[in-house]
Amino acid sequence: MSESAVNWTRDVAAHLLRRAGFGGTPAEIDDLFQRGLTGAVGRLVDYEAIDKSAYEAALAARGYNLLTTRGIQQWFLDRMAFSPRPLEEKMSYFWNLHWTSGISKVRGVTLMLNQNQTMRQNAVGKFDDLVVKISQDPAMLVWLDNWLSKPQRGNENYARELLELFTVGVESGYTQTDVTMVARALTGWTLTAGSYTKNDNYNGATFFDNAALHDTGSKTILGQTGNWNGYDAINIILNWSDAEGSKAGQFITAKLWTFFGHASPTDDVVSQLTAVWTSSGRSIREVLRALFTMPEFYEAHTAKKWVRSPVEYAVAAIRMLEGQSDFAAAASSLAGMGQALFNPSDAKGPDWGLDWMNTGTLFARANFANTLCTNRGTSGTRFDPNALLSGHDASTASRVVDLLAARLNVTDAPPATRLSWIDYMNRDDAGNRVTWTLDNVDKKVRGLVHLMLTSPAFHLA
Amino acid sequence: MPISRRDFLLKSAGFVSVSAMVPRWAVKDAANFEESLGAEAAGRTLVVLELMGGNDGLNTVVPYADSRYPQLRSRIGISVSSVLQLDSRLGLNPVMSSMMSLWNSNRLALLENVGYPNSSLSHFSSRDIWHTADPTLAQRRGWLGRWADEYLAGDPNPLKCAAISQTLPRTLLSDKVQVPSFVNIATYSYQTDGKFPGDRTNQMNAFVAESSPEYEIPTTVDTLGQIGEDAISSSNILQTVSTGYVSMGNYPAGSLASGLQLCAEIIHANIGARILYVTYGGFDNHATEDQDHDPLVQNVSDSIKAFFDDLDGHGKSHDVLLMTWSEFGRRAQDNASNGTDHGTSAPHFVVGDAVVKGIYGSPPDLTNLDSNGNLHIENDFRSYYGTVLADWLKVPDVPNILGATWPNLGFLNKSYV
Repeated sequence: MSESAVNWTRDVAAHLLRRAGFGGTPAEIDDLFQRGLTGAVGRLVDYEAIDKSAYEAALAARGYNLLTTRGIQQWFLDRMAFSPRPLEEKMSYFWNLHWTSGISKVRGVTLMLNQNQTMRQNAVGKFDDLVVKISQDPAMLVWLDNWLSKPQRGNENYARELLELFTVGVESGYTQTDVTMVARALTGWTLTAGSYTKNDNYNGATFFDNAALHDTGSKTILGQTGNWNGYDAINIILNWSDAEGSKAGQFITAKLWTFFGHASPTDDVVSQLTAVWTSSGRSIREVLRALFTMPEFYEAHTAKKWVRSPVEYAVAAIRMLEGQSDFAAAASSLAGMGQALFNPSDAKGPDWGLDWMNTGTLFARANFANTLCTNRGTSGTRFDPNALLSGHDASTASRVVDLLAARLNVTDAPPATRLSWIDYMNRDDAGNRVTWTLDNVDKKVRGLVHLMLTSPAFHLA
Repeated sequence: MPISRRDFLLKSAGFVSVSAMVPRWAVKDAANFEESLGAEAAGRTLVVLELMGGNDGLNTVVPYADSRYPQLRSRIGISVSSVLQLDSRLGLNPVMSSMMSLWNSNRLALLENVGYPNSSLSHFSSRDIWHTADPTLAQRRGWLGRWADEYLAGDPNPLKCAAISQTLPRTLLSDKVQVPSFVNIATYSYQTDGKFPGDRTNQMNAFVAESSPEYEIPTTVDTLGQIGEDAISSSNILQTVSTGYVSMGNYPAGSLASGLQLCAEIIHANIGARILYVTYGGFDNHATEDQDHDPLVQNVSDSIKAFFDDLDGHGKSHDVLLMTWSEFGRRAQDNASNGTDHGTSAPHFVVGDAVVKGIYGSPPDLTNLDSNGNLHIENDFRSYYGTVLADWLKVPDVPNILGATWPNLGFLNKSYV
């Protein structure tokens, strides 16, 4: 891919950071911009080069209670907002959405935390490794019941979702017989007897490949017959292909494009990414490097078209305002926004895009933003309005509006919206037109940021 | 001359007093709803209850006289001697005594073996098929969303169709109507800076301004704006519905009961709700169903009974019909982890004074399972929907909504007024 195909500008760098991360501060956008396209993409996808030891130490020092659901929600939100490796956390989040598991059924908080770490450790690695590790992950074994599956009348729950949601998709052409056969192959992948108990709050469960519970009979999976075990089943599924190439490659790269680009990947985009998938040995890192370098990723119809999920909304607001947070408000607000982190309602999780948005979830976002904007204390979720103006000309309402619109990447709002923001700045409590002065920062800048965070332009990334 | 949705919004914005706002659309009946539909349907409410995850029909309505039932359900079967007998072949799960009392008071119709041909065993495909009434999955909008497009578009009342749900169910997804969804009225409002209450009006004005859809053909931005507009207008009305309401039903604990109670409050408040939608999850019982399923169906049974008791106490039950659905039933034979895998058809309930009490269909045929061990379909779900559209909502042109004519199942009294 030639670099010249992409018109690399600061706005384009901001777009890349909104998608590959959770949005950037002006300094972060400047840093990415000056690296050029290839350098910027490399900085994001080869993230092991970024030393995060100071951040990890600071995170540990914050002392989130990792034995509670709220604690691991805060811990993951903190990482997404403040880790120096945006793509590592963005991909950990992608896999969290992809390989759902829910605390309501899993019960062991430590199991959920461990699953999240497994996703992070394998976030951009070889897809095969992730499939095997998640298929043997104690939280997943409980979430989709494979730990209870037995040779006679095996449990199909995980086998079905492995095919439908996690690898090849419901339209790939497998049959109910394939589901049953994969379930039989996966028998024996269970938990160590006695390791999943109430005594330690279900936190001690470990994987055990129990030969005594494995169905050793012959199985035909996607046309191939043998005495397959779980590893074999995964290999057969991942090696399955048609004229368009790898089935899993098509499914996963289309989903990655939907997540990072927009909801309608063209056949050409999927074809190119599937080719990279196969040539790289199913390397997620190389697929992402290709994706972030494609001209299509930077076209006008891609920019500001992604409806932020609730997690992305809360994290981007805090990050882009250079706010501070213990993430308690965000964690407790997410369910009302339609996304209970670590607790999806089903194996698919919520649909993306406009499906996130309805009148109720909109209020939940707005009221979280109001908490962020109006907290004047020294703890909790907050930002400093004076710091955002510092060093800038804030002498008129329009200058303040333009400064903050640029910071929050909402300069694409319609002209009428910009005028309504300026009008807001110039109104007193009686509704009379007055002139904005710096005496009103505590009222009007907080109010303006709340309006910007609740405008359509900020719901889009 | 009808008032526009936008006029309505501006005139009823958050800081206008409640008394000044409520009668506006009630007095000025701008909706084409009443003009298009039979007058007898104008005051009616349909409550849709979705049981998420695939409810096990065979352990809800038990074919107790069939000797194959205890064989197929050797691990988790309901004791056939304990069922609440509806007739000589079918009986309710014994935890459903509340539903039995609705049956005994002639307010319950039972539809057996409801589904669609070539069932998808996927939760998500099957759910979308039921939401859109389209097994080809070609429809984006839900079946009641299409109804809303036809009869509610341009209606200034934003609460004629609403979901008691964290997210909007696809059944209600429409092109022209942003259906509100909420689970808690207290937090269903646009909060502003508590330190500067005097600035709230300016904030609200600016929020309404930035939420203005700009174009005739909505873009994503416009849709987001429309959601903002409708959020404000529906919030203004909802903040008033609890006034004067006292529960007259003995609701159990849990989200289903609180959702149905919120429906009762809304119906009690006479704000013109036509469609209310409630969801209840937890039915995907692949394992330990012997422990998990009875509490779910008991909660369904007790919550529905409490809801109708509440409506009775307020003189409101006459104009309310409740229908249940779930994406599929479950495998006839239980699995080795004391659960059931995904199945096909299942029984569903219709509750209200307008039903013709009875069982519509045969007991599930446990001798004649398909190649996956699942039940065959007897009643197509589009017949179920079509009967409700024709005989409860009095839709004159049902094929326009459902794409074809489906046999009327006859479980509603056509001359009910």
